[in-house]
Amino acid sequence: MRPLDPRLVREVRPARRYVLLTGATGSALGALVVAQAYLLADVIATVFAGGDVATRRPQVAALIGCVAARVVLTWVQERYGDRAATAVIADLRLRVLAHAVALGPSYLRSAARTEVVTLTTVGLENLRPYLARYLPQLLLAAVVTPALLVVVAVNDPLSAGVIALTLPLVPLFMALVGWMTQTSSARGLVSMQRLGAQVIDLLAGLPTLVALGRERGPAARVRALGEAHRHATNRTLRSAFLSSLVLELLTTLSVALVAVGVGLRLLSGSLDLRTALVVLVLAPEVYLPLRQVGTQFHASTDGLAAVDQAFAVLARPLPASGTLPAPDLRTSTVELAGVAVRHEGRDRLAPDRASLTLRPGTVTALTGPSGCGKTTLAEVVLGLRTPDTGDVEIVDAAGRRTRLADVDRASWLDQVAWLGQHPVLAPGTVRENVLDLAGPTSEARLDAAARLSGLADVVAGLPLGWRTPLGAGGVGLSGGQRQRLALTRVLLTDAPLVVLDEPSAHLDADSERVVLDAVRALRRQRRTVLVIAHRPAVAALADDVVDLSPVPVGAP
Amino acid sequence: MSALGRTLGLLAPSRARMAAAVAFGSLALGSAVALTALSAWLISRAAQHPSIVALSLAVVGVRALGIARGTFRYLERLASHDVALRVTARLRERLYVSLAAGDRTVVSGLRHGDLLARVGPDSDLVGDVLVRGLLPFAVAAVVCAGAVTLVATLLPLAGLVLAGCLLVAATLSPWLAGVAARRAHRVADETSGRTTALALELLDHATELTVAGQVSQRLEALRHNEITRSNALDDAARPGAWAAGTSSAATGAALVGCLVVGATSVHAGSVSPVMLAVVVLTPLAMVEVVASLPGAASAIARASAAAQRLWPLLTAPAIATTGSASTGMPDDAAGLTARGLACGWPRRPPVVVGLDLDVVPGRVLVITGPSGCGKSTLLLTLAGLLPPVTGRVHLGDSALDDLDPHSVRRVVTFTAEDAHLFTTTLRENLLVARGDATDGELETALDQVGLRAWRSGLSLGLDTMLEPGVVSGGERRRLLLARALVVGSRVLLLDEPAEHLDAASATALMAELERLAVSTGVAVAVVTHQPAPTSGGTLHLGADPRSPTVPGGTTPDPLEVEVGVRQQLDLEGRGVRGLEVAAVQVARAAHGQG
Repeated sequence: MRPLDPRLVREVRPARRYVLLTGATGSALGALVVAQAYLLADVIATVFAGGDVATRRPQVAALIGCVAARVVLTWVQERYGDRAATAVIADLRLRVLAHAVALGPSYLRSAARTEVVTLTTVGLENLRPYLARYLPQLLLAAVVTPALLVVVAVNDPLSAGVIALTLPLVPLFMALVGWMTQTSSARGLVSMQRLGAQVIDLLAGLPTLVALGRERGPAARVRALGEAHRHATNRTLRSAFLSSLVLELLTTLSVALVAVGVGLRLLSGSLDLRTALVVLVLAPEVYLPLRQVGTQFHASTDGLAAVDQAFAVLARPLPASGTLPAPDLRTSTVELAGVAVRHEGRDRLAPDRASLTLRPGTVTALTGPSGCGKTTLAEVVLGLRTPDTGDVEIVDAAGRRTRLADVDRASWLDQVAWLGQHPVLAPGTVRENVLDLAGPTSEARLDAAARLSGLADVVAGLPLGWRTPLGAGGVGLSGGQRQRLALTRVLLTDAPLVVLDEPSAHLDADSERVVLDAVRALRRQRRTVLVIAHRPAVAALADDVVDLSPVPVGAP
Repeated sequence: MSALGRTLGLLAPSRARMAAAVAFGSLALGSAVALTALSAWLISRAAQHPSIVALSLAVVGVRALGIARGTFRYLERLASHDVALRVTARLRERLYVSLAAGDRTVVSGLRHGDLLARVGPDSDLVGDVLVRGLLPFAVAAVVCAGAVTLVATLLPLAGLVLAGCLLVAATLSPWLAGVAARRAHRVADETSGRTTALALELLDHATELTVAGQVSQRLEALRHNEITRSNALDDAARPGAWAAGTSSAATGAALVGCLVVGATSVHAGSVSPVMLAVVVLTPLAMVEVVASLPGAASAIARASAAAQRLWPLLTAPAIATTGSASTGMPDDAAGLTARGLACGWPRRPPVVVGLDLDVVPGRVLVITGPSGCGKSTLLLTLAGLLPPVTGRVHLGDSALDDLDPHSVRRVVTFTAEDAHLFTTTLRENLLVARGDATDGELETALDQVGLRAWRSGLSLGLDTMLEPGVVSGGERRRLLLARALVVGSRVLLLDEPAEHLDAASATALMAELERLAVSTGVAVAVVTHQPAPTSGGTLHLGADPRSPTVPGGTTPDPLEVEVGVRQQLDLEGRGVRGLEVAAVQVARAAHGQG
């Protein structure tokens, strides 16, 4: 893994600007280190030789200037390091989320979803130490170290020789560190994600565990997971730190060797004190950036692993959108022929070669046992999933056929509405939750839709009516009430094609009647309805019923 | 005491391990400072051209210090990280235990994203504070004291200058950094929590938002949130930049100060010229010692904020039903009875009042009613998971709240509508119910709920991972029911077990429950909206959400009784257990118009 991912500099603008700024401040700081070494050596050597410090006032003044300039540069570096990290993380988070959502249900209903959640909530934050701490040191190592080595060589070629001999060993060991920690760091991230997911999973299941009286057992599992995590991390750290131990030994020992060498040559009179002091002050500074890079390498591998994951998501090709405008669905028929979808980790296709026709203004019910692919087929109709085999075609009033794959996605989605099993509810009032998704509408329409969906009754029973705040995830509303809210949103859209996924889920017999009324109302509005139906009453209302029950093996 | 102090006190990191880490750290940094000081002396002394013997000890010393630094640093890192990992692991476990024993409303009041933040980064911060916060301060204190002593011994005034500058670098600068970190937290805490919530909302509801054309708006909201967050963080970071500047200024001042004082003293003859380089270069080495302190201070500030968020979860009030000294063991063959029962959530009006009912062994009681009428609340109360507002629930002869809650769970099994399937294997998911169940028992339970075909379609069988996408809504319901059966309890309380099933499967499932109850003598109560004739009768809960229900039953909601007389006779005819009046009796005054 490269210490600086070129994609980060190439594709993330705040990162590019930050690298340039840090390069500049780093070079200036390097120049100040050299100036400081010369000034110190000059004053000390003068006084050592019996001179008066008063004759070195300009040097002392210049030293104060160096200190002041250092303060300013440190301030600038600190001020912009964190800012850049925040900007880069925000940029990547937005891009990863947008891409993941655009990849659609076939991606989000797979195991990859957990990965994206961890990456965008926790993983990307690993970039902060990488950008704010590691990267500046990396650039210093690239710019300042060679420059200082040249300065040392000018003063004392022999010391420069010692440094030049040991210096290549440092990147060598850095590469070794990288090579040794690369797999373990990726494993560490996986282990962190697994632990995180498992602990969250256990916590999310706590009410269930309490109900089963089994909440005590998993506490031991949390402990066991923590212990396993600690042992794995300790193992990783032992090797990671072992490499940096060699690194530190090498750099500190080299400084010690330079000091001893300079001292012995001073003794023999082949070197003067001023030069010796310049070399002594500069020698540790040559190694310092490299040492810091080595120290922070562990943090950097986490950051780089996160960058890698982010670009891996971004590299997944998006489902292609067609370019043709969608035919007017108020007058067009949607035909599905032999549609089958394969699912990761499942042997059988669901749906398996399903065919159906959605004629404008009619109600089609999808039936069949659980797991036969009703929801997946609905996603195909919505244009969010590309079937593995089979075709979806739209036939307009004039009989022209257009493949859904060739249709511009946005123009298609403009004409469809969807009511899923778990409607989105954001923190906010009941009213906001209806209108945020449905868009602005008149009071009269809102009232009519709410009456039809049964939400009006729910609202009337709430302490603040329409202005009742709902918690995140709709705490305070029962499953049925949430469905009514979501149904209201759908009734408020003008979409000619409405897909209802199990609209009667969570509803009782009385509410089911409301759903039936809603389906009838949608039909009166000449909308086309595809409804996933469990109950005979809903199926009975449909013009067409399509049974997705798997064809028994051997049947014609 | 601060939340961080209390949290660390609760987790009790090992003092011996921590002391070892401080000792190793001090030796490592001390070696670095000593290396500079001794080198400076070596060079200055060599410039006086003494015999090589006068330098030999220093030469050996410098080389030894070159080795010591790296070695001690390695030991310090291993020791401190181990302490931190132990603390983090213990914290997560504590968190789990506290929430498990705590009031369920604490867990359900938490947003998923917030919970994620608590057990993830927050827990890490509290553990890391030992390595990144407390350790650097302890080490810096030891090494600074050593360096000041050294310089002051050579030249008291220089020692004073160094002490003053180090004090500024070790207090003012970290203080500023701490202010920055706390501000960053106060300002950005809300937005980052919101970032997570918005991100999860986008991913969880991708389909709905895509179809509604709302993805770009949600992304825009997220972008807006990120901008607000960046600006807030940027404002807050200002003292942080000053902290770095102060540290740099203080060490710079120490360098210049010691140089001027030292040079003047050498000229005045009050200190040997050989020591000048030591007095001047030692402060230069101290830059590295104090450089880590601003970062350490912000680590402490971040950890303090994390601890403040964690503390309420670590000390969640214990679940109310476990409050009394409940030690009695439940009677194995008993059903549930309730008299004058009112149930509801704390601090909200009760949803069900004045209810009498019996869940009888060998029979299935069906509870129906419109959405929001309190069916689930009633079931939770019957399960002993929610304390009754008034009245009591009896298991056999004992009141539920007099019994040991854990033994109640083994006898009364409640399956919530939104019960959780864990992201683990099918086997583990079923074993959650009862750890010692055999594979045969698990397979039987799967057969009983009609999952035989689904199960045989799984190439890995019981070892199949139940990840999102593997299980459909209907399969999930059946799995939950299978899990409830694995418990082998005497009373089954099921919330919507037939939800997401097609009509035929739902009917078959209810029939299976009925058969199960009759053949095994299990008492079953089922909340459903598909009333089916069953042995235990049907309880209709009717609630008009517009009519406020008043505790004490002055204007109670209408509850309707349907005692299945015919079914009762049928049962007696079949010789099934006893003459208890089946199911439901509701003492009822009509509400409002009635």
